[in-house]
Amino acid sequence: MKEAKAYVFVAPAAALAILFSFLPLGKSLAGSFLRISQSGKVLGWAGLGNYVSVLSDPSFLSSIRNTLLFVVLFLPLNTAITLLAASLLRRKGRLTSIPESIFMTPLAFSLSALALIFKEIFRGRVSIANRILGTDMEWLEQPFTAMAVLAVMGVFLDFALDFILLLSAFRNIDRSTIEAAGIDGASAWTIYRRIEIPEIAGMLRITIFMALKDAVLISAPVMVLTEGGPFRSTETVMYYYYLEAFRSGNRAAETTIAVMMVAFSAIIMSLASRRRKDA
Amino acid sequence: MRRIIRILLLLLLSAIILFPLLYALSASFFTKVDFTAPAARFLPSSPSFRNYALALGNSHFSRYALNSLITASLTAFLRTGVAASAAFAFTHLHFRGQRALLIALLATLFIPSDAMLYENYITTARLGLLDSYPGIVLPSILSASAILMMAGAYNGIDRDVYDAARIDGAGDIRYILTMLIPLTAPVTGAVFIQAFVSSFNSYLWPLLVTTRPSMRTIQIGITMLGFADEGELGAQFASIMLITIPFLLILALSRRLIMNALSGGVHG
Amino acid sequence: MAKDIRKTHSGVAFQGGNMARKSLLLLLAAVLILPLSAGGSAEADDGTVVIWHSNSGVIGNAFDDIVERFNSTIGAEKGITIEAIYQGSANDVLTKVKAAAAVSTSTLPDIAQLDATAALDMKNSDYLILPSDLGIDTSSIMPSAIESLSSERGLLAIPFNASSLLFYYNKAVFDEAGVNPPRTLDEFAAIAPLVGEKGSDGSVTRYAFSGVPATYELGAFIGAQKGLSYMVDGENGHNGIPRSVLFGKEGTFRNFLVHWKNLYDTGFVSSITSGISTEFAAGRTASMLASSSNLSTVLSTVDGRFEVGTAFVPMTDEEATGGVNIGGGAMFSFSSGDAVKTVLDYLVSEETQLEWAEKTGYMPVNTGLYDDPDYIAFLDDNPLFRVAMEQTEASNPKVTGVWLPSAYQIYYSFQSEIRNVTENGKDIDKAVEDMEAAVQKALDDYAEQNIL
Repeated sequence: MKEAKAYVFVAPAAALAILFSFLPLGKSLAGSFLRISQSGKVLGWAGLGNYVSVLSDPSFLSSIRNTLLFVVLFLPLNTAITLLAASLLRRKGRLTSIPESIFMTPLAFSLSALALIFKEIFRGRVSIANRILGTDMEWLEQPFTAMAVLAVMGVFLDFALDFILLLSAFRNIDRSTIEAAGIDGASAWTIYRRIEIPEIAGMLRITIFMALKDAVLISAPVMVLTEGGPFRSTETVMYYYYLEAFRSGNRAAETTIAVMMVAFSAIIMSLASRRRKDA
Repeated sequence: MRRIIRILLLLLLSAIILFPLLYALSASFFTKVDFTAPAARFLPSSPSFRNYALALGNSHFSRYALNSLITASLTAFLRTGVAASAAFAFTHLHFRGQRALLIALLATLFIPSDAMLYENYITTARLGLLDSYPGIVLPSILSASAILMMAGAYNGIDRDVYDAARIDGAGDIRYILTMLIPLTAPVTGAVFIQAFVSSFNSYLWPLLVTTRPSMRTIQIGITMLGFADEGELGAQFASIMLITIPFLLILALSRRLIMNALSGGVHG
Repeated sequence: MAKDIRKTHSGVAFQGGNMARKSLLLLLAAVLILPLSAGGSAEADDGTVVIWHSNSGVIGNAFDDIVERFNSTIGAEKGITIEAIYQGSANDVLTKVKAAAAVSTSTLPDIAQLDATAALDMKNSDYLILPSDLGIDTSSIMPSAIESLSSERGLLAIPFNASSLLFYYNKAVFDEAGVNPPRTLDEFAAIAPLVGEKGSDGSVTRYAFSGVPATYELGAFIGAQKGLSYMVDGENGHNGIPRSVLFGKEGTFRNFLVHWKNLYDTGFVSSITSGISTEFAAGRTASMLASSSNLSTVLSTVDGRFEVGTAFVPMTDEEATGGVNIGGGAMFSFSSGDAVKTVLDYLVSEETQLEWAEKTGYMPVNTGLYDDPDYIAFLDDNPLFRVAMEQTEASNPKVTGVWLPSAYQIYYSFQSEIRNVTENGKDIDKAVEDMEAAVQKALDDYAEQNIL
């Protein structure tokens, strides 16, 4: 009787987990070894054929390269800027609430609104970005700069939350150690590097892994900002998955990429949790 | 010296962070020709509320905004509810398979929903939920990290409270609603706000499961208003400002609350 | 926080408990009721004909007008209502249709407006209802538009928004340079320095041309070669499932690349792939290639700042006499019945097509209009709209758009390879080989997944 009650409380969560996580994973896994037509008919056994086909597709391989480039551009930038912002404001002062409010404003932007704004800021040669930076570039028309713009937009999307997390980590540090070090004559910089940074390292690691996961799985911002262009240079793995699954109706690519991405994110997540335990 | 550098850095960062917002605000007053001027403009040439009139005149705009509000609230309520109920069972009750079930639920953390997009679309469509609020909301209700956060908070609550409540004759649901949730308000708030924000921001999923304007959310709607194709970019920015301003107001009014909720959650 | 303080808090919250539960219950009730109200009208068997379309902006407004007129006239008489739903670009509509069809045909609209990228999928689908099944009389529809949608299964859809590729140029700039729009790519290369402009520091302030050809443009640049060339077998995929690539072994892509690189090397070609009409309107590029359907929009964006000219698409070389193919879109139907037939008949009627052509720049598909005094008067007043019609008349009707699987991906692959040749110095033969391999892989994958 008592047990039955417990199951009732867990049932909604369990049902959703089965319906929207395990069932689709099972279907993808099974499907990745089968030949399936666009209309969903199973045509036969494919063995590892689907994996071979996807992994030998130059456009899939280049989507991996594009995603890696995005991660390389986005992750350090995001970490550096959020850490800088949180560090600058780590001591509560009379006026710190003003920049704090400003740094939270990106929360008000929704993804597609931000993408449309970025599109305009960097559109064509006579863009406001060129005017401010004194450059003469077609940002969204060159593979590298388009990716850079995407990375900057990624930072805008993640900035506010990461900033809040790091800021509160800084402010939750036990003041007494810092004060003691101050009395011992340690400089502010030394205290920052030797005491405060190690104290917030755990939270920093969490924000980095969260950002990494976001970066590896990025697709919607690509869709709205660049549609994978120019010349497919911003086509990331998950955007490629979307195109193949929904636009081309290529079930071989859909199932195999789904399985590979689950495996990949499982690896990242277990690395993240292992390192969290170490800390 | 260090103070000055700090202030300069803060000013620079603030300028960067605010720029897209201010530019969008300015562009929402641009005339058509301002967008193709030979030199990019910072400020509109002859500001008027014409663009706002165009945006508000769009027959779908308010419906899109309402849909977003409804689906984001539904997601937030249901995610909080489902997570609270599961967290309660895992922390307050004992049952066979408890550990295995918990591990299974946490395993969903390893399955990114983006990679399940196609299969989940098929499931949702088979359930007949295309073009419905449940269809938009259902796949994002379960959040293993929400369960984890709430279970962590519930563990910290003295079991005497539960026993006392049971002696009072309060049912479990009542106990959750009136004791657990209020006692762990910061974590509940964090789960709620995170769910609301992520649902409000989701783009791909609502795009896939809606085919009618009456069900579209603002995220999709804003790219489908068609202003850009008419050369009415100003109206597009006016619509962006119209959905952004309410959020800015909420942020300004409840900054502390949101900050505490968002950071409190990850600690718990 | 001390435990006893929490208890006091919870005491207060106890009163609010009922309210919280009530609102939760209300929400749950809402969840249960909402799908009924929202999904209840999804099936259009009550005289509502649902059309998913891709018309937005100026063109979207024109389409809305046409739909409104139907609903208030013929529709009102016969008890039929068109529900027109904008679903994004033609590609987005296709994505939606395929996603809907993957589950069940009941989630499909009655009619969808799709373009050539959809044709192969539609041809091989079992949910497409052919115009012949609906009993639609197509005898008054433009022959080359019919040709562009014909397959071994017969005519796949009813042409509605027919367009062709068109050369748009800044007439003020061309006049000032004393040159006419180029007949061939080589001629274009010769005049590019005249219509382009460089600043004192040597940087280009006005390009002669902006854009990178993709599948659509290559339909003309490759299709027109030697009078008629196909990109893939089965007459560009119109006759059976395409199995092999032709543009490689027939040398047509190579030939195009040679002439295109020659043009690019003048230094007055900008390889941008988006925002081209904005650059054109701002006077930063002297010409561009775009669909004839963009004419109204281009004129409205230019807003009288300079005179716009339209001309035939330059030929790849002197032997490339095939002209251009008909592009644009057509109405594919997924349900049968008189209501659908009535709507399709209305959409291609003389009256509708006249209004549509005048407001957009699409070519009217109803041949009855070609000697219609209203239409002739309109063309006399707006000679720019005439060029597309003349170009189509001068073209080989057998030059048709290519039907490919993974069309969206291939579109971008073409642009990448062309840019590799022009900007990155990639060897032309290697580029042809890579492009051939990419398309061949798409064909093979498609055959693997769709032929039993």
